[in-house]
Amino acid sequence: MAEAATGAVRVEKVRGRSALTRCFARYPLKLIAPSKVGPASCDAVWLYALTYGGGIVSGDTISCTASVGDGCTAAITTQASTKVYKAVGSKCSEQLLEARVGEDALLAVIPDPVTCFSTARYHQKQVFQVSANSNLVVVDWFTSGRYECGEKWDFSFYKSVNHIFLGDHPLFIDSVLLEQGSNWSLAEQMQEYNVIAMVVLLGPKLKSMQELMQAEVRKLMSGQLRPPTSGGSLYTMRSQPPPRPQRPPLIASCSPFGRTGTGMVARVAAVSTELVYSFLRHHLAALEPFLGASPYAAS
Amino acid sequence: MLMESDSPVSKKSRLVNSVDCAMEEAPSNAVGVNQSLHWTQWQVLDSILPTGGFAHSYGLEAAMQSRMVNNQEDLRSFVIQVLENTGSLLLPFVYCASKSPDTAAWVKLDQLLEATLTNEVGRKASTSQGSALLRVAASVFIEIQALQDLRRTFLGSKNVSFHHAPIFGLICGLVGFDSETVQRAYMFVTMRDVFSAATRLNLIGPLAASVLQHQVAADAERMVQKWRDRDVSEASQTAPLLDALQGCHAYMFSRLFCS
Repeated sequence: MAEAATGAVRVEKVRGRSALTRCFARYPLKLIAPSKVGPASCDAVWLYALTYGGGIVSGDTISCTASVGDGCTAAITTQASTKVYKAVGSKCSEQLLEARVGEDALLAVIPDPVTCFSTARYHQKQVFQVSANSNLVVVDWFTSGRYECGEKWDFSFYKSVNHIFLGDHPLFIDSVLLEQGSNWSLAEQMQEYNVIAMVVLLGPKLKSMQELMQAEVRKLMSGQLRPPTSGGSLYTMRSQPPPRPQRPPLIASCSPFGRTGTGMVARVAAVSTELVYSFLRHHLAALEPFLGASPYAAS
Repeated sequence: MLMESDSPVSKKSRLVNSVDCAMEEAPSNAVGVNQSLHWTQWQVLDSILPTGGFAHSYGLEAAMQSRMVNNQEDLRSFVIQVLENTGSLLLPFVYCASKSPDTAAWVKLDQLLEATLTNEVGRKASTSQGSALLRVAASVFIEIQALQDLRRTFLGSKNVSFHHAPIFGLICGLVGFDSETVQRAYMFVTMRDVFSAATRLNLIGPLAASVLQHQVAADAERMVQKWRDRDVSEASQTAPLLDALQGCHAYMFSRLFCS
């Protein structure tokens, strides 16, 4: 990947503070490292990954390496959703990230969602190499497309792979694949839901955040789950069809992972992007002391 | 119910077999081995084998409580999604375990699946069914030394979790199924267990469930053909909505199933 890389980032301690010691990017990737995201007292490097034209055209590959040194803090985000434009032939748009997170370091990958246009083909792979006490936040999410214009689950292919390795031991191996089926469309499968999101929180610094999030999600969801009433039973006589039952607009669940439960993943499905933004804003607000700013605060 | 729906098929294959044998005049010894294998093979797939599969709804109960599945039509789409997801995510593990039934390869598969099943509800369902299947198989098929060895070596080990798909592939390989049949069988037991759960959740009657099971079989076969013989590096989940939902299983105040 090194020779084909379109971006490379290294964050190291310089005079006791997290500093960007390497920041390389070439077309179609652009990296911006503003220095005033948080207060000066906060030790964190922020990086905005931008693409020329606001998206990735068919056949383009963006590949980036990132290294966050021991004790350093870095956040990688975007300014707006990443558009994946219509596919030309069978060509994919691709994004690859390889990141190493050092001892006691924190890396937060907190982008806006990926939005695949109709017929788009998209492949994303993120591989994280962590140590036993590294801290990692990964938000990976995508929408049904430009759904407000009626373009819902109309892309051809979407695959997102997230791997976390502790040495050579697989800690978290996740791969989501959505492909338009021949006799089963994605729109039918997804019903009224337009957004799928995943939030990974890993490491000792995020322990209390994990616990809070798990407790709050449990509370949020348990109130919305109940056995079907007898009116919904197969054997009940009805004079008129029952109204379509209301489903939760946002479904979320949390699971610990890793042998010692050092990680937690939340899976979210929601009818709108705004619902997920407010979910993320709320649950990631506790990152502010580490990052100097609250994720998704401006979104 | 399931045994009944099974028997016409099995009678047929036995008939076909005996005709074949008569024509080819195969050595009687080989036929004897094959026929005695059938008893073992059918037992592995039989719903009466106490592996605890019927304690699981594969997310159906959570899907009903969130009003995602309300009627038989919804159930059909649900089953198809579960099967597609089983095909894309778990068949590679079944396939690889059935192909190379050695201990080191199995440990690797088990550890990889532990990292792959990131949904705690699904992960626990997988380990409880897998360890039950190994326990039952090792107690019943005592002539298969490899099962005894596996169980003895890894009982109480912290490095392995006994996930269902690789254990199923391993055992089916050891009782003489070819690898395509192992993969089809895995889809079959998954489908069988979802329909069983649907019946007990009063979503569908037993006869209607059998009718639907027979109809969905054609879709299931298409999925076997689509996803079979893949390496574990290709394993992907294809039903993120159901995954988020299944994770909610533990949040339900009242529930019948473990997953």
